[in-house]
Amino acid sequence: MPEGFAVQFAASFAAVAVLVGLAAWARIAKPMTPLDDARVLKLLAEEFPGRPIERVWVAVDGRGALAKSGAAALVLCEVGDGYVARHIPWAQAIASSFRDGVVKLDLSDVAAPNARIALQSWPPPSTPPHNRQAA
Amino acid sequence: MKPVFDPVTLAIPFFILAIILEIVLTRLKVARAHYETRDTMASLAMGLGSNVAGLLTAGVVVAATLWSYQHRLFDIPMTAIWAWVAIFLIEDMIYYWFHRLSHERRFWWAAHVNHHSSQHYNLSTALRQTWTGGIAGTWVLWLPLAFLGFPPAMIAIQKGISLVYQFWIHTEVVGRTPRWFEAVFNTPSHHRVHHARNPRYLDRNYAGILIIWDKLFGTFQPELDEEACRYGIVKNLSGFNVLRVAFHEWIAMAQDVVRHPRHALGYVFGPPGWSHDGSRDTSMTLRAQWRASQSAKHPDAGVAGDPST
Repeated sequence: MPEGFAVQFAASFAAVAVLVGLAAWARIAKPMTPLDDARVLKLLAEEFPGRPIERVWVAVDGRGALAKSGAAALVLCEVGDGYVARHIPWAQAIASSFRDGVVKLDLSDVAAPNARIALQSWPPPSTPPHNRQAA
Repeated sequence: MKPVFDPVTLAIPFFILAIILEIVLTRLKVARAHYETRDTMASLAMGLGSNVAGLLTAGVVVAATLWSYQHRLFDIPMTAIWAWVAIFLIEDMIYYWFHRLSHERRFWWAAHVNHHSSQHYNLSTALRQTWTGGIAGTWVLWLPLAFLGFPPAMIAIQKGISLVYQFWIHTEVVGRTPRWFEAVFNTPSHHRVHHARNPRYLDRNYAGILIIWDKLFGTFQPELDEEACRYGIVKNLSGFNVLRVAFHEWIAMAQDVVRHPRHALGYVFGPPGWSHDGSRDTSMTLRAQWRASQSAKHPDAGVAGDPST
């Protein structure tokens, strides 16, 4: 590795450290408030336009949600100051392990391998659908 | 290949100062931007790593460029103004097609997706550069310039100028520039659309410096006041691990090929989101679903601002 490149790399590394420190100090991430039903429906409508939502389970800590849409489970998870959404088969969602108040969902995706959502109980007892439509 | 005059190296202090300014002005509530610490760290680490990764293939790129130049058709002088005008236009058009290829075919998307994987749009996002671009081989698209007779140093300088230009457009701080500028040049507004994951905005505005290529080739989409950009990729990452940022699509592609070897060509060279059974969504199907949902909501109205309606 040429000496000039090594010097440039070291200086860039130091600059990265300074910039990350500055970003942490500034506290200018997007403001995050705990999810509620209305916000979950809005986010799901953006992620899965036109998909009917039958029922929503919002995480007790407001940092995620699960929804039933036909034969699919729509999963929403907080990541940093944003969200990640995926859909998996409903049967897979209700078969997911539930331990210590957290359901662990296998999303089978390298980009988002799994999701953990804090719920009061899981799986839900079968209830009549609310037949809600994503806004 | 780094010429004596390397625009990117010279611009690094400017990059750092501009990011500092964007953060501090936002902190002081003078400007509007969002920085999440781990996201910023991932973006900047990708930028740092791309410099190192570039070294791995630099020898091949330089050798291929020099070989092409040795077999050149014309002798184009580096001192002529017309030559700089010509390389500016030709290189920018090559960039457009490189960029379009990098979005519309999965093999090259795998190398480019990391640049779009942040859910933020700020100056640090500009530095979230690929680690695998050299391996993806898109540098081949620039070889015709050397074959035509543009000196390799001239090509490297023009590519550098393009890269430096594209830094400042990664911001929400700048709203819209004067109309004449928006009409000709790639701007923060045009590039926000490019980074947006709203179905209406997917696979639009591939331009480097001049937005005219998108207008010419039918991929231009203006930013609409009624539809705010949502940044990131269709299937966002669930963390900030730079290895996942750099390699997730390559791994996913390899998994698909292993699981469905008979459909390997589709999974490698099809559009991102292609699947042999149609169970996944491409940009085209997502836009169609969105358009259908808009039509269902407003049956009598067209879809405003959608060039395909």
